[in-house]
Formats: sequence, C-alpha cells, structure tokens
Amino acid sequence: MAGHIIVVGLGFGDEGKGAVVDALCHESPVVSVVRFNGGAQAAHNVVVGDRHHTFSQFGSGTLSGVPTHLSRHVLVEPIALARESEELAALGVADPLRLLSIDADSLLTTPIHVAANRAREDARGRARHGSCGKGIGETVWYSLLAERGANPGDTVESQQVLGVPGAPVVVGDCARPSVLRGKLDALVRFYEPLIGAGMSVDDLVALYRDFAGAVRVTTGDEVGRLADRGRLVFEGAQGVLLDQWRGFHPHTTWSTVTPDNALGLFGGREATVIGVTRTYQTRHGAGPFPTEDQSVLARFPERHNGAGEYQGAWRAGHLDAVLLRYAVAACGGVDALAVTHLDVDGLSVATSYDAPLPESGLTEFLANRTPELVDMPDPVAWLQEHLGVPVVVAGAGPDRAAYAVRAPVLH
Amino acid sequence: MGHGKWDDNAYAAARTFRAAKGVDDFGYTSVLRGRASSEWKADPALDPKGVVARECRDSADHADSTPIAVLFDVTGSMGTVPQIMQGKLGRLHGLLQRKGYLADPQLMFGGIGDADSDRVPLQVGQFESDNRMDEQLRTIFLEGNGGGQKSESYELAAYFVARHVVTDAWQKRGRKGYLFLIGDELNKPRLEAKHIRRIIGDDVRQDIDPASVYRELERKWHVYFVLPKQSSYYDDPEIADHWRGLLGQHFLKLDDPGAVCELIAATIGMEERVVDLDQAMVDLAEIGSAAESVSVGKALVHAGGKAVAASSTPPLLDGPDDVTLS
Repeated sequence: MAGHIIVVGLGFGDEGKGAVVDALCHESPVVSVVRFNGGAQAAHNVVVGDRHHTFSQFGSGTLSGVPTHLSRHVLVEPIALARESEELAALGVADPLRLLSIDADSLLTTPIHVAANRAREDARGRARHGSCGKGIGETVWYSLLAERGANPGDTVESQQVLGVPGAPVVVGDCARPSVLRGKLDALVRFYEPLIGAGMSVDDLVALYRDFAGAVRVTTGDEVGRLADRGRLVFEGAQGVLLDQWRGFHPHTTWSTVTPDNALGLFGGREATVIGVTRTYQTRHGAGPFPTEDQSVLARFPERHNGAGEYQGAWRAGHLDAVLLRYAVAACGGVDALAVTHLDVDGLSVATSYDAPLPESGLTEFLANRTPELVDMPDPVAWLQEHLGVPVVVAGAGPDRAAYAVRAPVLH
Repeated sequence: MGHGKWDDNAYAAARTFRAAKGVDDFGYTSVLRGRASSEWKADPALDPKGVVARECRDSADHADSTPIAVLFDVTGSMGTVPQIMQGKLGRLHGLLQRKGYLADPQLMFGGIGDADSDRVPLQVGQFESDNRMDEQLRTIFLEGNGGGQKSESYELAAYFVARHVVTDAWQKRGRKGYLFLIGDELNKPRLEAKHIRRIIGDDVRQDIDPASVYRELERKWHVYFVLPKQSSYYDDPEIADHWRGLLGQHFLKLDDPGAVCELIAATIGMEERVVDLDQAMVDLAEIGSAAESVSVGKALVHAGGKAVAASSTPPLLDGPDDVTLS
C-alpha cells in the first residue's frame, strides 16, 4: 500500500491494530510509526515467529526496525518505557530507545498519577469504570485543572478538586530540572490527601533527566518533517467505542480515539484511514456489550489478553454491525478495513437491535438490547458489502505470516 | 501506598536510560538508529564498496609508519568494544609511541557484521595518527543486531585487508602490519563471492575458503583474534578451536573487555621485541592501566608469553632461616 496510513480500532480495543501496523511496516518501507492518542495502557500484540511483544509505548513497527514518534497527544510514562525498552532489547532489537522520538509537549504520566488512579478505582469498589490502572485518566484530568483555572472544592469532570493544582508536567520539562521540580512538588502536594506522602521528588527529577538524555525530544512540526522523508503509519490506541466523546460514558477513555488527532497533526496531508475489526466483538471490563455471548467467549480464549487487576474481565460476543457502523460514522468514515481473526468459522453478526439507535442515552439503551443475528460465512465479503469499503489487510492468526496486505479494490 | 515497588522500577528505569546515553558519543549511530533500518548504510568515509586501496604511507613527520588495523564485531554485545576503545584511544597511541614500541603507529578502525543478514556488514576507515582516529571511531555505525548463527563475516574483513590495503611498511621495508580482529563468533563457512561483489565490489566469481584468506593475510600482517569476555561464547570450545586452528597462539582470550586497548599495546610491544610481558605490564601500570594489565597478562600468558606473577607485590624476602642447602 502506498501513501500515509491512519490505523484506528473500530471496537472496544483489542481489534488487532498492532499486528496490522506490523504487517504494513513489514510490507513496504515506513519512515516512522506515529502514535496519536492514549499512553502506556496500549497493549498491541505482535507475533513474529517465536518472538512476541505486547507494544505499549513503542510503535508496533519496532520489530520491522521502524522508529516511533510519540506525538503531543500521547501520554508518556518513562518508567514503563524503560521496561519496554529492555523487553525489546531481549528480543534482539538493538538499542530500542534510539528508535524513539517524543514531542516536548506530551504529558508525562508519573508514579503519582498512577497511585492516584489506583486509589480512586479502589474506592469505587464494584462500581469500577474498567480503567487500566495506569494513570492515564488522572494525567489528563490533572492537566485540565490548571487549564480551566480550577480551585480547591471545584468539581471538574465529576471529580472533586482537593488541593491547589499546578501546571501539568510535560516531556520537555525533563531536561529542565528546576522547572520539573517545581511542577512535581505541586503535584505531590495536590495528591497528598488521596495517596499520602512518600514519593521522592528528588529521585523522580534524576530519573526524568536521565530519560530526557536517552530519547530524542522534538519541538515544532516533527510529524511534518517525518512525512517529508517518506511514508508514515499512524497507530491508534484503543477503539473508537471507548472514545472520550463518542464512547459510552462512563466506560470511556480520556483520549480521542478517532482519526481526528492524526489528521490534525497531519495538517491537510492525504492519508488513508483503515478501520480495524475482529470477526467477533470483544471488550475488557465493565460497560455495555449488546452481543455478548458466553459461547463465543468459550470458543475464543485469549492468548495475550487476560483480566487486568484494574481493567476487569475479558469478554466476547458476536460481531456487532450496529456498533461497527456507529464507529465508522464516529471516524467520519473510513477508506478501508483491516479484518483480523479470520481463522475461524461458524460466525454470526448482529445486523440490528430490537429498537433503533437513539440520539442520546446510548449507554443505558445498549445495556438492554436484544440483537438480531444472522450467519456470516465469509466475513470479508460480508463486511465489504455492508460497509461499502475494501478489506485491505486480512489476518488469519496471531503471527505476521498469517497477515496479507492487498491493494485496495477500486470501485 | 506501595511506593517501594515504584522505587525499584524507577531505579531500573534510570539504569536503562543511562546505558542508552552511552551511545550518544557515537553520533552517526545515533542519527541512523533514529531512522528505519531500510535507510541504514555505512558512512561514505567507511564504506568499502569500490575502494581500490586503503593506504598507510610514510610522511615527512612519520617516516617509519606501522599500520595497525583494528576491526571489531559491531553486533550485539560486542557493540560496547568501540565505546571502550574510544575512551582509551589516546592512551593506546601514546603508549605505543612514548614507550618506543613503534615510532609512527597509524591506526585504522572498522566494523564487522554479518553479510547474510546485516545492512552494514563491513566498514573500514583510513589510517590516521591524530584526532581523526577518534572521529573515525565515532563514525562507525554500531548496527548491533544480536543473535543468529554464531558466525560473523570476519573473513570478509580479512579479505579486504589482504587485498585492499597497501602499506609503505611492507612495500619499502618488508615489515608486517598489525591486524586485530575483535569478536566472539566463528568465521562464515565460506566467503561468498556474491558478498564480495555486493559489499566490496570486486568481480569475484567463486566462493573462497576463509582459511586461504587468512593464509594470504598472514604473509603481510600479524593477525590476532581477540575474544573479550562479553558473551557465553567466551568459554565455548568450538570458538577457541576454530580460531586456534587458523591463527594458533594469536587467538587471545581477554577476561576484561575494558582492557582491549592495553592488550593491543602489549601485544605489539612484545611482537616488536621491545618489551617482555613483565615489562609490558609495568608500562601499562605506569599509564594508569594497572587493573587492565592483570587481564592483559592472563591473555598473553595463555597465548605463550612469559609466566606472570599472580601478585604485583613481590614475595616476602625474609623467608625461614633454617633452610639447609644440599
């Protein structure tokens, strides 16, 4: 496939975006994979022969030697990043941190955000939101406080502001210890009522300075500079059905999952949007799931997706064309599809529910639906016909060898 | 709030970041690593393709030049060797000259990879005797692919030195140069003609037996293979047998990879018969490499050098009085 590509998940995550990005990077030269949303909570599996890695902050083109750029929309967690770098080095990737560039404006997720995130989920008990427990939401929320001029006692995004917020910590601060120290001090003070004291700001300042020395921190239009050198693949994290605006509250992520960020970074350049779906539906943790079916779950146990402590159980059901169309519309349409998990048969697809999709109140609506199921003997043909776009990547197993990239069929 | 776990993780992360920083000294590698592997190539100054000959010539200032070529495996764990060398280059050159081992040493550096799988399997610089040595070293691309078949294309590098290096030392004085190959694996079973054509550019049509390359090379060069203790191959008998079969006692095992420069200096001093092993170790201690000299001693004593005292302090002189001489 020629030209720039934006890969987005059309489900609740776990669609197979990692394997699709790997296949695209392996198929023809790519200058860089660009992440445009989410953070360390991404878990994109790539399997190449006996090598397997779950990509989190590194792009899924890494095993093909393709560098990663973390754009300003990405939340960066350096401690997890170092661990991932060591894992990749153990798989034979030489000097993985060299493959990384990070925008100076990216928000930094610190152990303080993570501890706060977990403290909140623990307090919610059984009413957990299905968070990954990696501090993503907390990082975004804290950054909103200064932006909105929040004061102690205010409620921002339905969470009470307990102390005086400071400016958010960004990657560019890591090379400026005095700025960084000031922001971290404010952060620790702010969260003390929730998580207590004990986090050493000195240690964090030293750590983040080492981090800034080991990766390339960029300013300005790095995405444009990379695009001038050749083809880019934008790797979306999570699925559109978890999008902060278009997902089903409160079971959403604090991140724009649709291609909007990628298109914004690209400033008018042409790109092909590829929506990724499995041949059946899955989701992690709580939230609406009209086509959930225990028999589907029993048929497709997951090799690389267990139940996270904070994330909740792994769930499965039939492919839901109602939600698929909803996701495509949320993306403003897609140019093509990538379909994964084609190595199964006897599949069904939900073509409609017992009631039409309303304009609002989706979460409650979806919680009480009976789907209309039909057989789907040939998922590729069915999806091409009913969504009206070509399937350009087909995956029939976890390994790269099971992936085929085809030129789009022109209509 | 269980910060202890985060403290451990933060400590590990800091170590990872600091280790990555070490490569920063190798600017060319840093730039290339930031790009897709399909864009990787040798710096033009180090690309062997189409090179007629690398020359080591005498000059007005350096009338008695001796070529020293140091070509190291830049794959996997061996990638740290150039970093070590870079830190000690000045010392090596200074020791060779000040202690009178060689009048005009000229150094050339190069990198060796795997012609079957690497983007940049061979890099060779120029012979230099000043700051340009350092620059050349920094320009070597540390491709660093790990794993594989326990072999690298050392014989391709040997072929280049045998056929594409000309020296005044040999042509005017009939004196051999020094070639140090630093690595931890085997030669490829054959030097493939297609690799020679693609990487060096010679129109060779038949594969070559690596042993014959080394025989040709040894006519004009003192050839050493140094195996630093960097990987499990250090104690692998197959590696030792392979290189001893080719180079005999010029196969050197070095238990401290940090002592590569010192080993090169001592080896040359001894080959030139300026010093014996004991004196070489004294010289090393004098330039601040006392610790390294112990490993150098071990490497060279196993290779057949003179026995070396286990301790640098002399044995007690006031022994027992009641010894009866018979």
